Amino acid sequence: MKRNLITILTAAVLVVIFVLLLFTFQVRQSQVAVVTTFGKTTGVYQPGLHLRWPWPIQQVYKFDQRIQTFSDKFSENLTKDNINLIVSVYVGWKISNATNFLNSFPGGSIEAAQSQLQSILTSAKSAVVGDHPLSDFVNANLKQLKFDAIQSEIEQTVQSELQTNDYGMQVKFLGIEKLGLPESVTEAVFARMKSERQVLISQAQNQGKAEAIKIKANADRQASETLADADAQAKRIEGQGVAEAAKTLPIFQENPELAVFMLRIKALQESLNQKSLLIFDQRTPPFDLFSGTWTNAPSQ
Amino acid sequence: MERNVQKHGGINLAVTVVIFIATLGAASYAASMAGQAAAIFLGLGMLVAFASWFQMRLEENERLERLEVEELARSRGETTLFETKEAEVFPAQRARELFEKFFVPGFSVLLLLLEGGGAWLLWRRISATATIGGISPDRAMPALALFGIFALLLFLIGRFSVTIARLENHRLLRPSASFLLLGAYVCFVAALGIAGVRMGFPNTDSYVARGLVLLLGLMAVETVVTLLLEIYRPRVKGKVARPLYDSRIVGLLAQPENLFTAAAQALDYQFGFKVSETWFFQLLRKSLPVLFLAQLAALLLSTSVVFIEPGEQGVLEQFGRLDSACPILNPGGHLIWPWPIDKVYRYRTDQVRRFDVGFQPTAESEKSDTILWSVVHTKEVNFLVGNVQPATVTNNLPGSASGVADNDEMSKVAPVGLIDISIPVQFRITNVLDWAYNNADPTNLLQDLATRTVIHYLVGRDLNAVLSHERSQMAQTLKGRIQADATQHHLGVEILFAGVQDIHPPVKVAADYEKVVAAGQDRIADTNNAEADAIQTNALAGALAFANVNQARATRLQTELSAWARADLFTNQIAAYDAAPSVYRQRAYYDMFPAATANARKYILLVTNTHNVLMFDLEDKIRESLLNLNVPSTNSP
Repeated sequence: MKRNLITILTAAVLVVIFVLLLFTFQVRQSQVAVVTTFGKTTGVYQPGLHLRWPWPIQQVYKFDQRIQTFSDKFSENLTKDNINLIVSVYVGWKISNATNFLNSFPGGSIEAAQSQLQSILTSAKSAVVGDHPLSDFVNANLKQLKFDAIQSEIEQTVQSELQTNDYGMQVKFLGIEKLGLPESVTEAVFARMKSERQVLISQAQNQGKAEAIKIKANADRQASETLADADAQAKRIEGQGVAEAAKTLPIFQENPELAVFMLRIKALQESLNQKSLLIFDQRTPPFDLFSGTWTNAPSQ
Repeated sequence: MERNVQKHGGINLAVTVVIFIATLGAASYAASMAGQAAAIFLGLGMLVAFASWFQMRLEENERLERLEVEELARSRGETTLFETKEAEVFPAQRARELFEKFFVPGFSVLLLLLEGGGAWLLWRRISATATIGGISPDRAMPALALFGIFALLLFLIGRFSVTIARLENHRLLRPSASFLLLGAYVCFVAALGIAGVRMGFPNTDSYVARGLVLLLGLMAVETVVTLLLEIYRPRVKGKVARPLYDSRIVGLLAQPENLFTAAAQALDYQFGFKVSETWFFQLLRKSLPVLFLAQLAALLLSTSVVFIEPGEQGVLEQFGRLDSACPILNPGGHLIWPWPIDKVYRYRTDQVRRFDVGFQPTAESEKSDTILWSVVHTKEVNFLVGNVQPATVTNNLPGSASGVADNDEMSKVAPVGLIDISIPVQFRITNVLDWAYNNADPTNLLQDLATRTVIHYLVGRDLNAVLSHERSQMAQTLKGRIQADATQHHLGVEILFAGVQDIHPPVKVAADYEKVVAAGQDRIADTNNAEADAIQTNALAGALAFANVNQARATRLQTELSAWARADLFTNQIAAYDAAPSVYRQRAYYDMFPAATANARKYILLVTNTHNVLMFDLEDKIRESLLNLNVPSTNSP
């Protein structure tokens, strides 16, 4: 009897658990639930414990009502100034109307919803990117940068599309996640960046050479000035010496003939050097002493 | 009674044959893999039903034979008949023994091959079907109905057959009866798989089929084990052997309520004595419900005590709703209502979490002691950045009046530059409710926000400024903006750190940046060399000027002194000259002449015949010393 009681109790517990699982459902704080009865929506339930009829009478669809973040594809678009720009945006969306959401997407599939959102986003993004030149996306001048405005335009376009078709979704925020250039344009940017560096390299190198030449020229000029000053000073000094020496000329004037003779003697002395070839005849003193002593006349 | 057994065996065989064919057709019609798996089970059941029915016939023949022999013995009252060989007297018994000795093991091996081979082939077909598509939705409903009917039929007949099989001497009915019930369950499960497809879950049929294949594999393993154990089973005389093809797994699945009975029978059969009558086994059998209840109670009670670890916070939900009284559980022990009333979700709120915006340093680059711009050290992620061309570039570009290049391609890409950047962001959860309930994937959202902030910052800045003087303030600005974004989106986090770990031009351009620095050094070197030359030039010029001036001073002094000395000499010479003018002149001449002409070559013409013409060769002669110069021999080593 006791054994039967325990068996019955065990069975009862299991049956109660099974029945509870069949006839109740919980909705989490982060969820919202839609209940369909024979396929027709009969209620939307907020977080808590709720009763239900078991399948196939009623079916419960639970949806995460927190903000879902979705990133679209990194896709290439043409800007207003015909530049290929690759843009990816992220969007934060949430289920605003669970019933509409369930009706719009089979089984309330988040994947199906995001696939639809991807299409809408791609379309909106291409349209907005095409309305702006590249300088609106990237510009060192903050006054000309329209980054936030572009994001707002895409968000408004997507929001409008979602509301028009009543998907039960609402966009909470949107932002540009990635910006890029195609490979060929990237290579062109690299080439331009290199050319800028090359200009700076040339500038630095040639400035150095130019400065070196200037410094050397300046130094040469200064040296020339110094030497010229020195030459002038030297000449003045030498002139002073000559002037001082000229004071002795009156002394020589006392006997000009002797003075001139002595000058001639000195000049002659300084004119004869080692390689001089002197041809004298017998009349030149002191070789005139040879006169009458030897002759090349045939002896008698 | 025995004929009834045969009849039931025959019915079982007929039912399995019919439903096997029907199941195969329905599975092929719907392209259901689970249906095909069910057909394999029913095919095996058909073979088992045939083997058991055949064995029933042999046993029936043996029984009739024995009755006939006993009747003959009673009528003749002699025993001579039994003195002959037994095989000659009991051919039916002999046939049954040979059947059990050779056919049954061989049949078990055949079952093993069919189970193993069937499982292998079916698994391959399931994998192939996964790539080409499975059950077609429009055929799901008819197949679902058919499998439901098969399950119902098999269940009714199987249940009846199982009840009959419990009677004495009806043991051979049990294998086919178990297979009928298992077939019913398998068909039901296959129907569930098809129903899943019908309800929009296309993989349920494949999942169910895989589960059935695993069961088939398990049965193959059991057959192997049974065959091995049969070798070592103790043979007790008079003990009726269990047929090898009578699967215990099939029996257990068909009649799970007989778990203990099946286990006891298996143990008894294998050990050769009544294990099921031991005290331990009896105690276990009696206490199992209590133990089960106690286990269930302990399990439930264990869910009502929760310990939050240090550094963690728990969020308490009651029936899915946040507990209004105490939604957050801090570290320590807590009593809560048992599952499924209360549930706790844990979050490591004190943990410092990290993600990287831009390129993420690799393990190799982390190990490296040196990281250079011009050497690839990670997978590059290029960010667009604003670009103001250097003043030098804009002012000096040739061919453009304004200094800006008017080439089309250049004008297209001129406003932008590219940069590689790595910004580690560290954060901590400060409001666990915001973190848990506002966003489905808060980590991913925070990363998106941080990436967007970095991009937004860079597109509005100049490349060269970001690389140089703006770098220090960049980290602070980014941290503030990311924190503001996180707060605006109610993420419940505190940004602890956002630093510019690495920022540099792309590797393809980096070498040119380094060349600019080298060129700057070259410029300084050229300037320094020129300065050195200038210093040398000026120093030498100054020295030369000094020398010249001093030389002039010396010359002046020499001139002056020499003039006065000559004047003094002349004064004295005047006196001498006045004393003897002619002699003085001659003396002066002859004093000078030898000394002045000492080194001169002198020719003195002592001629008398002055009409002759004298010719002199005044050519300079080679010095005698040069003529005596020794030229080295070319043959010398």
